[in-house]
Amino acid sequence: MKRRQAIQAILGTPILTALPAASAAPQQTPRPANDLPKLATTVADAAADAERQFFTPQQLAVLRRLGDLLVPAGENRPGASDAHAAEFLDFLLAQSGHARQVLYSNGLDRLQLESGRRFNRRFEDLTAEQAGELLTRLQTPLSYRAPLAEFLWAARGDLLAATFNSREYAAAQTAAGRRAGGLGTYWYPIE
Amino acid sequence: MAVLLMKQEYDVLIIGSGASGGMAAYTLTQQGVRCLMLDAGPAVDFDRHRALKPVYDLPYRGFGRPGRFPHITQASEFDANLWADEKENPYTYPNGDPYYWVRIRLIGGKTLRWGRASWRMSDLEFKCRDHDGFGENWPISYADLAPYYDRVEPIFRVAGRRDGLPQIPDGVFLADNSPDSLSVQRFIASANKLGVPTTKSRVATGTLASSANLLLPDALATGKLTIVPNAIAREITLDPKTGMVNGVSFVDRQSKRHLHAAARVLVLGASTLESTRLLLNSTSTAWPDGLANSSGVLGRYLLDQFYVKNCIQSIVPDARGGKGPRNLMGGGGYIPRFRNLKAGEKKFLRGYAFDFSSGGTPASKYFPLYGDALFQELADAANTGFNMTTMGTVLPRFESRVRIDPAVKDAWGIPSLHIAQTYTENEREMAKDATGVAEELCRGAGFEVLASHAEMVPPGESIHELGTCRMGKDPKTSVLNGFNQSHDVKNLFVVDGSAFTSGGSQNPTLTILALAMRASQYIAEKMRKGEL
Repeated sequence: MKRRQAIQAILGTPILTALPAASAAPQQTPRPANDLPKLATTVADAAADAERQFFTPQQLAVLRRLGDLLVPAGENRPGASDAHAAEFLDFLLAQSGHARQVLYSNGLDRLQLESGRRFNRRFEDLTAEQAGELLTRLQTPLSYRAPLAEFLWAARGDLLAATFNSREYAAAQTAAGRRAGGLGTYWYPIE
Repeated sequence: MAVLLMKQEYDVLIIGSGASGGMAAYTLTQQGVRCLMLDAGPAVDFDRHRALKPVYDLPYRGFGRPGRFPHITQASEFDANLWADEKENPYTYPNGDPYYWVRIRLIGGKTLRWGRASWRMSDLEFKCRDHDGFGENWPISYADLAPYYDRVEPIFRVAGRRDGLPQIPDGVFLADNSPDSLSVQRFIASANKLGVPTTKSRVATGTLASSANLLLPDALATGKLTIVPNAIAREITLDPKTGMVNGVSFVDRQSKRHLHAAARVLVLGASTLESTRLLLNSTSTAWPDGLANSSGVLGRYLLDQFYVKNCIQSIVPDARGGKGPRNLMGGGGYIPRFRNLKAGEKKFLRGYAFDFSSGGTPASKYFPLYGDALFQELADAANTGFNMTTMGTVLPRFESRVRIDPAVKDAWGIPSLHIAQTYTENEREMAKDATGVAEELCRGAGFEVLASHAEMVPPGESIHELGTCRMGKDPKTSVLNGFNQSHDVKNLFVVDGSAFTSGGSQNPTLTILALAMRASQYIAEKMRKGEL
């Protein structure tokens, strides 16, 4: 419910709290027989919550926290959590190749392991300063790859893209009077 | 298998509707030749088949379905439906040496998505053996093709600047005299100091610069062209009495019905590897190794251009924070081949070129930061980028080849290709040299270099595959003569990139168009004289 309310708040739609009082059925004139109406629908994310498909609950929790650290919210800028980037990546990784899945699974598990080893705490419970000590691999040049670095660079790129390409990000840009990016020419299947 | 025979006969049967097939149709129909064109794909309806969409409405938020196109890095989730499906159209390559075969199977072919770079080749390419002793000369020279370049450039509305550089001959351009931004001027000054030439890009202009809008409509308007879409050519058939080509058997893409189209002359413009594949699949007692392959080189001498994408990513420092003047950023240009203009200057043969471009924000991967620090840096670096990409000559080698893989068939039962091409020390040395030069030029312009590399993309990814059905004077070492005509079977012509004897650092499409026009003119003349 919390997630649905958050989306509705961003999209500016009303939050339903209780059923309205019963009222008399409105007068209806029959629709024309040849009417072909365009029906209003809503996106699944506005009415439902994504189910976990690939990560374990613990891994997803680490990824969410990682998203908060790498892509935090800012002024008129939703962060990874607002954009449900971790949940989206869970869906994407469920369909990805084995190498990518292993990179993420091992990377998230390793972060959790190092967090416990160094701070005796779960990664999602670290302070920003503590987490920063584990994220120093992101501050090394692009060409250098220490263990864990490859995962962190990949996750950073994916979390950024998942956030920038989200409905929430576009809505925030529009609300701030900026042109929402991410528009493109989509090609339908050509038969 | 019952085969439905089509009753009409056409003068010329053209396979493929892209640059080469489209130009063949355009030229032949204007000469009054009745043409039937078969294309493996459907026609595009630009109103119905595309729409503006936000990325968040796509199922994968722009990431694309994982694994859909393992070998097409150019595909995005927006245009995924344009590219040939790799599962329906499989191919193989040796373990450890991937080949990226990038295809579009729609009317108009790859001209629906090409980069439009339009460069003439010179005698440095056509007479390359005379220049540096490697490989073979083409059976034609620049002078033979120049009149056709002259006619192709206005059709494709090529814009450019005449600079008198012999390695990229000037053409019939829409004049591009646009002013260069300050950053580009600084870069050009840096290049001048090192004696490296620069020029404006030469590009086909217009909303769409495709066979679909520039060639096929005029061909259809003559009333002499019939286009059959969704027609996958399976095998070329021969008249048993004369041994000449008499048509093509093909499969309907949607129903999988088998049909046969007949003609007096066959023109293959199915794209480099598809034309060769069709020839290799057209075996008989007379042609056990593929049709018109008495030389044994059909499928051999596969080449392309090597690319080092974004070999340099730099920043124009005074553009940081949005503080630069309005005319500081924007635009770009091209550095043509400048190495080995005299033979033997460097330890590698031939040369490379660069595209350079000013503007845009460097990708986040270039900044070793995260969180608010990254966002601040990205904001500061907005529209400060200056980058370069290398395109280099790949030497034609006998061992770079395609053959039929009998164990692999496409969704229509047609045997597919096994593609073997690797880059060699010559290409690697060129890539290293190019990156070194690029870095020197950027630093000389006062740019801040964020990253540089000399890593080539895999063979094929340039989408400039050439060769495998090469032209030559000697029928023992080539498949086609100087008019793209088979040495062995006189009513067979191959007019796409497979005919190239060698390549250059120039994008090949303009040359493909000119060759196709020239060959088609030759066909029409021969037909008028009753010699075909």
